[in-house]
Amino acid sequence: MNWVLDFYNYRIVEQYLGRFAEGLENTLIAAAVSLGAAVILGTMLALCRMSSRAILWRPAAGYAAFILATPLLVQIYLIYYGLPALIPAAGRWSELTLGIIALSLHNAAYMGEIVRGGIASVPRGQIEGGKAVGMSYLQRLRYIVLPQAFANTLPPLLGQTAVLIKDTSLLSIIAVFDFLSAGLLLNSERVRPNESFLTIALGYLAIYVVMLSLSWAVKRWLAGPAWNVGA
Amino acid sequence: MGGQTLARRSGVERGGVAVQHYLDVMVSILPFLWTGFVQTFWISLVAIAAGSVLGFLIGVVRSQRVPLLHQLFGLYIHVLRGTPFLVQLYVFYFVMPNTGIEVLQWSSETAAFVSLSVYTSSYVAEIVMAAIDAVPKGQWEAATALGLRRLPILGLVVLPQALKLAVPPMSGVYVNIIKNTAILSVIGISELTRQGEISIMRFPRDVLFIYGAIALVYFVYCYPVLRFTRWAERKVGGTRVVNLD
Repeated sequence: MNWVLDFYNYRIVEQYLGRFAEGLENTLIAAAVSLGAAVILGTMLALCRMSSRAILWRPAAGYAAFILATPLLVQIYLIYYGLPALIPAAGRWSELTLGIIALSLHNAAYMGEIVRGGIASVPRGQIEGGKAVGMSYLQRLRYIVLPQAFANTLPPLLGQTAVLIKDTSLLSIIAVFDFLSAGLLLNSERVRPNESFLTIALGYLAIYVVMLSLSWAVKRWLAGPAWNVGA
Repeated sequence: MGGQTLARRSGVERGGVAVQHYLDVMVSILPFLWTGFVQTFWISLVAIAAGSVLGFLIGVVRSQRVPLLHQLFGLYIHVLRGTPFLVQLYVFYFVMPNTGIEVLQWSSETAAFVSLSVYTSSYVAEIVMAAIDAVPKGQWEAATALGLRRLPILGLVVLPQALKLAVPPMSGVYVNIIKNTAILSVIGISELTRQGEISIMRFPRDVLFIYGAIALVYFVYCYPVLRFTRWAERKVGGTRVVNLD
């Protein structure tokens, strides 16, 4: 058993379990809040994107292009250092808050693309049918487009959520105490890279496995196994 | 010196002085941004090349459904996709040298290059396999009927068709790789983001401006590739061979 302890001393990890749990909590909070915000912002972005008015779709398209073509790390820095310069009160917000804002703004662009794809997948005849029975724009959105778009959106949305959870690890760079930071703390106090980084890797893998099973379950729930086989 | 006094004054005076100040800052950080961009460009290019070769081989092997190898490489891909790139980078940078094996005593450059290439390979492998799978079965059967063996069929019949399908998602991955080079700054690779951080030490009041300039450089590099991806998607017929994430 000695060689196991030499390579991976789980007793050290046990001592840090509390810190790992604390970090995991922040990671999950950051992921959950920015997921919710990104879906709402992304839906609005998608609706602007699909509008025929240039004043709506041009800024939305420009925003999406900026987010998609620059690194998330630079966007996090821009929000973390830049937002307090624009809004003085933001200087007193916690790193976690600023990190969540950055992640939300980043993922809104990706969610927007996904929602747009979902809406575009609803056949035109459905919308025309809604118009024919005298539904307003909002009614068509609420009763015809969004429910169908939702089903087409959910699988890629779960995929993007898995990416979002992984991306929260970048918040450790702006001193948010997330799951990765707990491992960095262990490494800096005990100088045991194996125990810290392999534990983190395993933790993220566990989250990934949960997300993967969730997405399989959702695919089955949405259309039943027969539809998946037929495709 | 001149920049410092201007920086102090720009808070009070506005207009022309501020513009002049930003011009001064821009001129003095431009050499840093250029060095950083060249570094980012080379790292991304080398990692894309090495990662694509590795990923291509894995993808081809996986498409043949060789019993044990298929699952083994499947695990490899899942592990790389299930962990953040930052964690992979730390593992290659901290854990590998800790094994005590001579060959794994990597410099930060080597760790950065290896981790980025391995990360790239996991995405490329999935794309190549999906593209090979997307070539109709009839192509295999017809080639077999003509008396070709497995390798000639792959090389002469299937791969030429598959690679065309792989172009749009591959360029999407390349954008991803270019953006991920920014993360290499945390282990001290002097690429674009790191050079920006160094510039900020000289002009601490212009953080927002300097990060904005860095973002602009990344945008100029990535956006054409992104447009190419869209164009190629339309050209190939809108078939997204694989869902990227």
